[in-house]
This record gives sequence, C-alpha cells and structure tokens, in this order.
Amino acid sequence: MTFEPTISLDKNDDQPDSSPLVNRYAQIYLKHDDEQMLLVLPSQAEISADLPWSETWQELKHLLQTKEQSWQVGTNVCLVAKDRLLDARQLQTIAETLDDVKLSLLTVSTNRRQTAVAAATSGYSVQQQAVAQPLIKAATDSEETSPLADPLYLQSTVRSGVEIRHPGTIVIFGDLNPGGKAIAAGDILVWGRLRGIAHAGAQGNTQCRITALQMEFTQLRIADAVARAPKLRPRRLSPELAFITTEGISLAKTSEFAKRYFFSSPSKAWIDHNQAK
Amino acid sequence: MSRIIVVTSGKGGVGKTTTTSNLGAAIAKQNRSVALIDADFGLRNLDLLLGLEERVVYTAIDVLAGECRLAQALVKDKRLKGLVLLPAAQNRNKESVQPEQMKKIATALAKGYDYILIDCPAGIELGFRNAISAAQEALIVTTPEVAAVRDADRVIGLLEAEGVNKINLIVNRVKPWMVEENKMMSVEDVLELLGVPLIGVVPDDEKVIVATNKGEPLVLGEYDSLPAQAYLNIARRLEGEKVPFLDLMANQGNLLTRLRRMFGG
Repeated sequence: MTFEPTISLDKNDDQPDSSPLVNRYAQIYLKHDDEQMLLVLPSQAEISADLPWSETWQELKHLLQTKEQSWQVGTNVCLVAKDRLLDARQLQTIAETLDDVKLSLLTVSTNRRQTAVAAATSGYSVQQQAVAQPLIKAATDSEETSPLADPLYLQSTVRSGVEIRHPGTIVIFGDLNPGGKAIAAGDILVWGRLRGIAHAGAQGNTQCRITALQMEFTQLRIADAVARAPKLRPRRLSPELAFITTEGISLAKTSEFAKRYFFSSPSKAWIDHNQAK
Repeated sequence: MSRIIVVTSGKGGVGKTTTTSNLGAAIAKQNRSVALIDADFGLRNLDLLLGLEERVVYTAIDVLAGECRLAQALVKDKRLKGLVLLPAAQNRNKESVQPEQMKKIATALAKGYDYILIDCPAGIELGFRNAISAAQEALIVTTPEVAAVRDADRVIGLLEAEGVNKINLIVNRVKPWMVEENKMMSVEDVLELLGVPLIGVVPDDEKVIVATNKGEPLVLGEYDSLPAQAYLNIARRLEGEKVPFLDLMANQGNLLTRLRRMFGG
C-alpha cells in the first residue's frame, strides 16, 4: 500500500485532518512469540519513501528504553526485516543495541537476498520469508477486519516530539506531555496526566475510549472526531474518560461512566441512559 | 572520577552559554579543575563570555586535524586556577565534527580534569548529537516559558534514548515578581511537566547582561549578586552538598529580602 500525498489548498476545508491510520505509518514494534521475541521493522512500502537509517535506529532505541523489563534477560530475538535492505554494519548496530538491554539477536528473517547474505556472513540464522510472509499479510489486511494487536505497555513518560503509534490499545504508565502524541487503533489509557494529543480508534472504531488520571489534553481524537481542550477546566481534576456521543466527543468522570452510558451500535456512539428514556 | 556534563536546552537563547561559563567559574572556585568545551562550532560564544577571545590560538578542529596537541589548544583562565576552555572553530560549521571525535576529545580531557562541561548548541541536529555523545550527565537549562519548556522536554526524551539518565534541571531567568502575580510559569509548573530533579533556580538580573558584555563571569565579579550566588549554589549541589532552594511562591515578607536571606545564609 503506497501512500501518495496530494498537496492542495482548500480554504473551505475547516475540518481538521482526522485520521492518520495506524497501518499507514507502521513503525518498529516488538512482540513476544513463544520463547523468543520478534523485532519487526516496517517494510519499505510502509515507511514514507526513505526514512534515514539513523531515524530508524533512534526509534528502536527509544522503543527498547520504554519497554525495558518486559522480557527476561538473554531472550532471543528474531529480527523481521521484511523487504528492508540491511548491511552488516546496520545488523551489528541492531545487535549491539539489543545487547544493551540484555536481548540477543539470533535470527534474521528477510525476503531480500542481500540482507540474508549480510546476516549469514555476520553469523545469524537466516529465515528467508518464512516468518515475514504472514506478518506482511496481517499488515495489509483490510482495516475493519484486522484484529487489534496486543496492548502496548509503556513504562515511561511520553515527551514532546515522541509519537507512539500502535495497532492496538496503548497503556502509558506515566504522563503524555504536550507535544507528545499517542495514536492507537484501540483504547488509550494514561496512568498520569494527558497533556498532549491522543487519538483512539484511529482505524475508525467509534467505540474506543481515552482515559487518564488527569485530562489536560491539547487535543483528543476518537475515530474521526476531534475535540480541543475546553477553555475552562475544574481546578481539581479527577480521572476522566473521553468517548464519542452523538454530539461528538464527551468527557465523563471515570467512576460514573459505566453507570451512565452504553454503546449503541446503530448510532455508533455512546448514549446516556437518562436521555435514552 | 571525572564527570562529563553537557549543558543543553533545545531552544536557543535561554542561557546555556551563560550557565556554562558561570558554572565553570563557580566549580573552579571550589578548587576543582574544570575544562569547558564549546561545542557550538560556527557560532562560538563561550570564549567571549569568559573574556578569553583574544587568547584563543588553536581550536578543537586543529586538535582533531592533528595540527596541535590538545594541551596547546586549551586556553587557561588567568583569574581562576583550574579553569580551561577548549574553543570551537568559528570558521567551520557543525558538520565538520563527528560524534566519535567529540567523544575522543572529551574522554582525553577527562583524564586531567575533575569536571568537563560541554556547551551544547541550540537545536537537536548534528551539533546536539556531537555535544551529547560523550556526556554521562546533562544539565537542562530552561526558562519559565512554554516554548523553552516544550523544547527541554523533547531534549530530555532524546537524552534518555541515548542512555544519558542523570539529568538535572536549571530554571533560568525566573522573575519572582511576575511569578507572584501569576504572569509567569512557576518553577513548580516547570518541574511538574519535565519530571527531572531540580538543581538550581537562577533569578533574572540585568547584571548578567553587563557581565556577559564585559567578558567576566558574574561569579567572579560582585560577590553578592543573586545569580552569582545561584550559580555557586549549583556548583555546590553538583558536589553533592545539600543547599536549600529559593522558595519563590512563599507569600510572606518582602520577596527580595527573603531571597537574599536564603542565598546569603
């Protein structure tokens, strides 16, 4: 799926740009797979044109930093490189970076011959296409039917300039700072202050919700609805939850939400029990 | 064990170079040896602020090119024993140095000095990556402004990704009277957002500008200026001493006399 941006100025278009679909900008992710872990790089088509290697590496380091301790020391890693070209030096950098967090690169799965040769020369086991194939298929599946990925659990504050994209639910054990962004195909839970931008249900699921201990967001998006922060906010903030109603995005106290609202599939929104009567 | 500390901020004009020069002088005053590295290639200022401009002969580029020895390029401060500066080249830009080269220089200096302070350029491009490549710790300088704090937040994220986890915060140019009237972010607001330990609060003072233009770090000049005291306190905190902070939001009494009392005591 290639993505050709069209650039045009439409002055009547005051609708804010809504949903950068999670799949389009797939990024590096790490997931458990039985005994080993899979480190999946975005395929050449998924990244916009040519993302420089340094950026990819930066992203990898950041990912490992935030996910540290979710694995056992010495866990083997299978690098799913798909159609990305990697030379021996880049493979070595990846191996060293993984080594820093006590993971060991064992296998490289690729469908590029050159990458396979480089990996074999550096002494890694090589799987050509075996693992890569189903994964690529999963990523290109139609958006509606693709099941959500495992929740992404981040143990750190998401700072300005960091964008977390995940085709599932995101849990942030920390703050989401202004300038930071979380985009999830599922729900977003922030166990801290939400002060940046959160986009739940980025693939169009209007049932998705965003919740935070303190809602001080810059912008909230759920599916294709956008909400800006209200001008006036209470001084003492209690945990709140954002969801789509027929009138757009609403906020409710987390403790009251379950009692008051139910999801109506035909109207694709959450509806207040009291108003429904 | 010598400490390699990078002074950085993301945003420009918040006082990185002023902080580096004053902190360098303050540390040297505590009888510690300090080497300051100006990592702002092409836009060097640190020599000006220290009043060492006319004594610069060689620069870091010359050292890297093998045209002089490292010791030759170091400019010694006559006023303070133990304070030296490694100047940046003014006729080159940031692309002329690589992170590995900066690392080599800093590690070489670390063998002879207790503290290595690296003055980082603004931005997060190659110049920034050069400056932080050797750093074991970082001092984040920010002013109580939304833009500066936002950039500081970004830089902290980048430092953490690079494995620099010992990060301390200096809030610069605080105007107590404005904080009092709720016209400026308070130090607490900044801390709450950034979530890194505070190591110093430097009040805004016109004397800083005067000292900068004279090429004399405030710390070396008038002893009782508030910013100078603040820098000396930061130097002591770096050494591990517990020095009380300014309590800017306290309401009783004349604020300035309170500040003076806290600093003086």
